[in-house]
Amino acid sequence: MNHAPDMSKDVRPIATGRAAFCAAVVGALGLAAGVLFGLRDGWDVFFRSYLLNYTYVLSLALGALFFVMLQHLVRAGWSVSLRRLAELVAGTLPLLAVLFLPLLVPLLAGMPGVWEWASAEAVAHDASGLLRHKQPYLNVPFFIVRCVVCFAVWVGLARYFVRRSVAQDATGDVQLTVRMQWWSAPGMLLYGLTVTFFAIDALMSLNPHWYSTIFGVYFFSGSLVGFFALLALLVYFVQRAGRLTHAVTVEHYHDVGKLAFGFVVFWAYIAFSQYLLIWYANLPEETVWYQPRQGDAWWTGVSLLLLLGHFVAPFAALLSRWPKRRKGTLACAGAWLLFMHWLDLYYLVIPRAHGHGHEPAAPLHLTDVALLAGLAGVCVAAILRAMARQALLPERDPRLNEALSFENI
Amino acid sequence: MSSAVREIDNTLDVPGQRAALITGGHDLGSLTDVACAPWEAPRPPRAWYIAFGLSLALLAVLGAMIGYLVLNGVGVWGLNNPTGWAFDITNFVFWVGIGHAGTLISAILFLFRQKWRTSINRFAEAMTIFAVVCAGVFPGIHVGRIWLAYWLAPLPNQMAMWPNFRSPLLWDVFAVGTYATVSMLFWYVGMIPDLATFRDRARSKWKQVVYGLLALGWTGSSRHWHRFERAYLILAALATPLVLSVHSVVSFDFAVSQLPGWHTTIFPPYFVAGAIFGGFAMVLTLAIPARELFGLKNIITPRHLDNMCKITLLTGSIVGYAYLLEFFTAWYSGNPYESFVFKARALGPYAWAYWTMIGCNVVAPQLFWFKAFRTRVWLILLVVMCVNIGMWFERFVIIVTSLSQDFLPSSWDYFRPTWVDLLTLAGSFGLFFTLFLLFCRYLPMVAMAEVKTVLPLTDPRAHPHPHVPATRAFDYNPDEFDPAATSNPRDAREERP
Repeated sequence: MNHAPDMSKDVRPIATGRAAFCAAVVGALGLAAGVLFGLRDGWDVFFRSYLLNYTYVLSLALGALFFVMLQHLVRAGWSVSLRRLAELVAGTLPLLAVLFLPLLVPLLAGMPGVWEWASAEAVAHDASGLLRHKQPYLNVPFFIVRCVVCFAVWVGLARYFVRRSVAQDATGDVQLTVRMQWWSAPGMLLYGLTVTFFAIDALMSLNPHWYSTIFGVYFFSGSLVGFFALLALLVYFVQRAGRLTHAVTVEHYHDVGKLAFGFVVFWAYIAFSQYLLIWYANLPEETVWYQPRQGDAWWTGVSLLLLLGHFVAPFAALLSRWPKRRKGTLACAGAWLLFMHWLDLYYLVIPRAHGHGHEPAAPLHLTDVALLAGLAGVCVAAILRAMARQALLPERDPRLNEALSFENI
Repeated sequence: MSSAVREIDNTLDVPGQRAALITGGHDLGSLTDVACAPWEAPRPPRAWYIAFGLSLALLAVLGAMIGYLVLNGVGVWGLNNPTGWAFDITNFVFWVGIGHAGTLISAILFLFRQKWRTSINRFAEAMTIFAVVCAGVFPGIHVGRIWLAYWLAPLPNQMAMWPNFRSPLLWDVFAVGTYATVSMLFWYVGMIPDLATFRDRARSKWKQVVYGLLALGWTGSSRHWHRFERAYLILAALATPLVLSVHSVVSFDFAVSQLPGWHTTIFPPYFVAGAIFGGFAMVLTLAIPARELFGLKNIITPRHLDNMCKITLLTGSIVGYAYLLEFFTAWYSGNPYESFVFKARALGPYAWAYWTMIGCNVVAPQLFWFKAFRTRVWLILLVVMCVNIGMWFERFVIIVTSLSQDFLPSSWDYFRPTWVDLLTLAGSFGLFFTLFLLFCRYLPMVAMAEVKTVLPLTDPRAHPHPHVPATRAFDYNPDEFDPAATSNPRDAREERP
């Protein structure tokens, strides 16, 4: 080889100024358009759509946080060259904590928000009496307390791991790795509990009459599918921009593909477990959740699309070795799975039981698109800005050698 | 505990350097000698005879109890009107659960490139098969008319013996049957190179013939190895979903019903985590005495025990998470029957069993947060014994509490096991340990061929091979790094425009 490429270029931050600015503009325009649509279509539609798109971007960041902690927990070597990208995504959690605040506005202002249980009127008129029964848990102050705890844990963990990792770039201190390893185990415990209860609070309680013990795991499994899809896309674009071209090889793509495949199957397993058990027992208090999701042509279509697009197609596409080892193919699969993960949350958030005094809401609003662009734009801008500031590789991680020389057998 | 082999603490981890998985400075030859020693010794250690005698006695008890059951019918068990299922199904689920660790270690940890698995995978797989054998006894004998037990087998359906394809009990037959078949194949295929080693080292004619037949003509040629590794990878990939499917289907036995305490959506992953939890506890229970008795302390090192303790802690915490969510949801659901059952579990007539379960399954493994508990064999044994007990009680609590107090208070009754119940359970351990002890004596307990691949000796990084350029990225320093040396030749080949 007569021209040895320069490794230092590999780790150098990307000058993303313009791209970050564009993303921020898209984000701002999207949010503004969302508010305008909200004025037109009603705040009910706005907040539901905001919740959908917010949990979408949040789930990706939570998936990234999980990935980062997992790599420390198992002392992984192969993934070191990808870890900074995940840290960048997890680094949006403080921003996401701020972006959660709009969802609290209707709760504090006493407006009918997305959560039926928050309205005293709905509780009083609930014929089943279940909302009254659940009030010790489903009430506004306690909900806010739980949200504060969740975000404190996530922001705390994200900052801890990202800061230590970046600090190591400068010092190369091995003790930082030891300490992150130590914290990753209790971090996982906190993570598991907070993600579960957040999923119950924010998503499951949208239908406060319904319950499913597996719901937290369902949300978690989908988040990880979304994150690995995002990671495949992210590394693809970073390499296109001329970074990480040596530190990340097809071997890493292969492993990201395997993990995406694994979590696709895990998601399907969890979704199937929930569906089968509820279908089989056929208790009205449980089937009530599936009823609006299979009640009309649109939602039946969405359900089937999830089955085919979130499981069957990616299963077939990612089963073989070669699609995972072709960068473009894996990036395409990533883009598709990112869309499917959005559809999964759409399926969780938007449908609602008939006969609770709601107008039969249109299944898809322009607000959904606008707020997706808005929230994703803001987060992408934040990630790009961070990319411009720090190395894209934990270049002094003691296990970097293993990542650089890693090969799948 | 004392042993001639000195134990080296390899649990310390310096990031960037991987601790040695095999200690004692073994080379390929000495490793084979150590791994073959239990088989080549003219006599097994005295402790083996004692254990084998006890196991055989317990096995005889199992046989006697089954005979007594067949002669008298299931009335000899403590079953009563609401509790029509108790020890039989509890024991079945307990043993099937034990059988999960082996395949997890051999298949899932293989796919995750966990090299430490090589020291323990062989006997964990053997344990899996023996546990499934024990599990298989119970559905067979619980049918009452035992001479019709063959109806469980997948016979042609025109006899109308399977009226309900929607029954999870039928799915069980397929799930457990598939699992047993694939686990057996996986175990056997992995053992072929080691069986060939036994064949080659055998001194007596009959041993040469028997192990020669079992080794299927293995010569160790490159072609054999190539095919072997392919087959192993494919079997690992096939076995991986089975680890999840078997206990998921077992959980369906309960969860598809409408019985409070059984019908909850988290059952499938919760049962799988519980099975792995119980399975690892049993692997540790067997590994600790085995490494002492057969001088394998350099192969099953403190690091292996440490890792297994961590997996026990993880899966135990997942089980605790499931208990918590079940309890929370029982209240949250607002379903009075659901909340009644959970209150009855904690405070009702079976509270003793419930708190045994919580203490053993949730509290005890939390001790593994502390390294002191993961590195001292007696403490590990103490905790995993708790887990073994706790996981049996978990199934007992789920099954019996929900049945004995269902919707109609007039039909409630307290289940008391009879001596036949208790002795059948004890006897099943006899079957398990008899098979395991025979395995230790007559089959390669350590996957020699696989362990050799993780020896420091066979690591090209430790001893530069003439064909491996010494300038590979192993000495990476961000300031003076030559990326040309790391570029993977496969990149150029596989990356298409």
